Amino acid sequence: MLEFKNITASCQHQIILKNISITVPTGEITCIIGPNGCGKTTLVQCLYGISKVIEGTILLNGYDFLQLSYRERAKQLSFLPQVRQIIPTLPVKTLVEHGRFPYLGFARKKQKADIDIVNQVMDFTQTTPYSDMCADTLSGGIRQQVFFAMNLAQNCDTIVLDEPTTYLDINRQRKFYEDICKLKQQGKTILLVIHDLSYAVRIADNLIVMDNRKIAAQGKPDIILKQHIIENIFHVKCKHFRDEEGEYYLFL
Amino acid sequence: MKPKKTDVNTPLMITVLIIILFFSIFLNIMIGSVKLNPVDIINCLFGDDKSSVTYTLITTVRLPRMVGGLFAGMGLACSGVILQNVMNNSLASPNTIGINSGAGFAVMLSMILLPGNLATMPAFAFTGAFITSLLIFLLAYFADSSRTTIILAGITVSTFLNSGINTLKLLDTDITINVTSFMVGSLTGLTMKGLFLPIICISIAVIISIILSRLLNILNLGDDIARSLGVNVSVIRFILLMLSSIMAGCVVSYAGLISFVGLIVPHICRHLFGNDSRLLLPCSALLGPIAVLSCDLIGKVLLSPYELPVGIILSFIGGPFFLYLLMKKKGGRRLNA
Repeated sequence: MLEFKNITASCQHQIILKNISITVPTGEITCIIGPNGCGKTTLVQCLYGISKVIEGTILLNGYDFLQLSYRERAKQLSFLPQVRQIIPTLPVKTLVEHGRFPYLGFARKKQKADIDIVNQVMDFTQTTPYSDMCADTLSGGIRQQVFFAMNLAQNCDTIVLDEPTTYLDINRQRKFYEDICKLKQQGKTILLVIHDLSYAVRIADNLIVMDNRKIAAQGKPDIILKQHIIENIFHVKCKHFRDEEGEYYLFL
Repeated sequence: MKPKKTDVNTPLMITVLIIILFFSIFLNIMIGSVKLNPVDIINCLFGDDKSSVTYTLITTVRLPRMVGGLFAGMGLACSGVILQNVMNNSLASPNTIGINSGAGFAVMLSMILLPGNLATMPAFAFTGAFITSLLIFLLAYFADSSRTTIILAGITVSTFLNSGINTLKLLDTDITINVTSFMVGSLTGLTMKGLFLPIICISIAVIISIILSRLLNILNLGDDIARSLGVNVSVIRFILLMLSSIMAGCVVSYAGLISFVGLIVPHICRHLFGNDSRLLLPCSALLGPIAVLSCDLIGKVLLSPYELPVGIILSFIGGPFFLYLLMKKKGGRRLNA
């Protein structure tokens, strides 16, 4: 279980978040949604010191996460930051292998287990065909998949992804959410920051709604939907459909 | 855009580089104001001919000059690779960032404060280089840290320090070295004794940076990703910056402000071997010496019996060659820029 307790966080010497507490239960998918600039990214960036935690603690399974070294953190929780300005010019496979970095010893020598995991996550994310290509020659969507693979190569029980679907086309998005559900079945704890409300409502076990740098609601999606919180914050109307394959929510 | 690298056979290319390096080392010993006979050289180096004029010439003139060039190329090229990665900027090099000028300024200062003391020069050069790089780094960190800012700050600082060097030169006309050749970079007048300390420092720094090359790759992905992969970005940055300052500083302490190697060699290597630092660093450590030694050779031969300092030849040949490389790749390489 990942818990943010009374977090006050700043970014570039400016306090962005005050006294925020959220809980991410083990083995479930939790989605953070909220309008642009509401502090979602700042909140998850606290995990790796990109935004600075001024007060409060982050507990991972009861341990104080921020007291751990970066390397130890990277073995327990893998975090994929949002849009990157820097486009790496390395071959895809080398890039994914970076995910094993926290586990490598001083000699930085890859073990067989490392290679196996890299191959496995590349298959899982369907990036194997691009192994030898240079990451800067790929389209944004595939590059995103490669970063996702790198993140999975860290093989952590807790996965935090900040807007992972930004560059993906609709087919890859669907595939991505299926992958997320598969990871959940493997027992991973997943925290997503996303903008796609329909998917958030459908796949999330827990929903965290942020607005204006505060937590507006936290809980099961159906309960939050009933309270019309999302509709009020995003100024949208929620439409609900049902067919033999399941339930759908459309926000217009 | 081209895929990961040009279709160069990497092992073959490295072998070729090694052969060229040995070739240029040998030619450098052989050719000079007096041409030596290869057989005599081998006799002197490996045989028991310890008394001839040739032996004295080789050990006191040719060998120090060759070793100096070898390590100058190695140090500056590796320093360039590290700086380009650490600053995330393809324009970074010991020269453009101002490290060279910082070291040069400190060396000039040391010659005024402690004249004739060779042993303190590397220490001064390193301190100068390190303070300058730290200054640039802090400027970039606290200002908007964009890639252009770093380079602009570097150019500003290096202009500033160059005027410092010139002021010192004017104030103290008794300086023991030839200032002009110091400013362009020259390998004349070296002694094995004076080279000893810088060489050891450069070798250690090169080895450590090759060990850390995977970290360089990760730093290259940007701070946020590097952190999420468990790298303590600020500490590693600091260490790498220190390494590159040691390398550049040591080179400047004996060879003066050799320019361009630190910028061009990494780029040629990127061209040949791709952007993986694990390959890039060792290859730059090979190509750097080749560039310096062959330019020194040209400097010796071109206007013989007069000699041109190696720094001048490097700029003469390196400049147009680099321009050619730039023109060839339309749109520019996206080394994080």
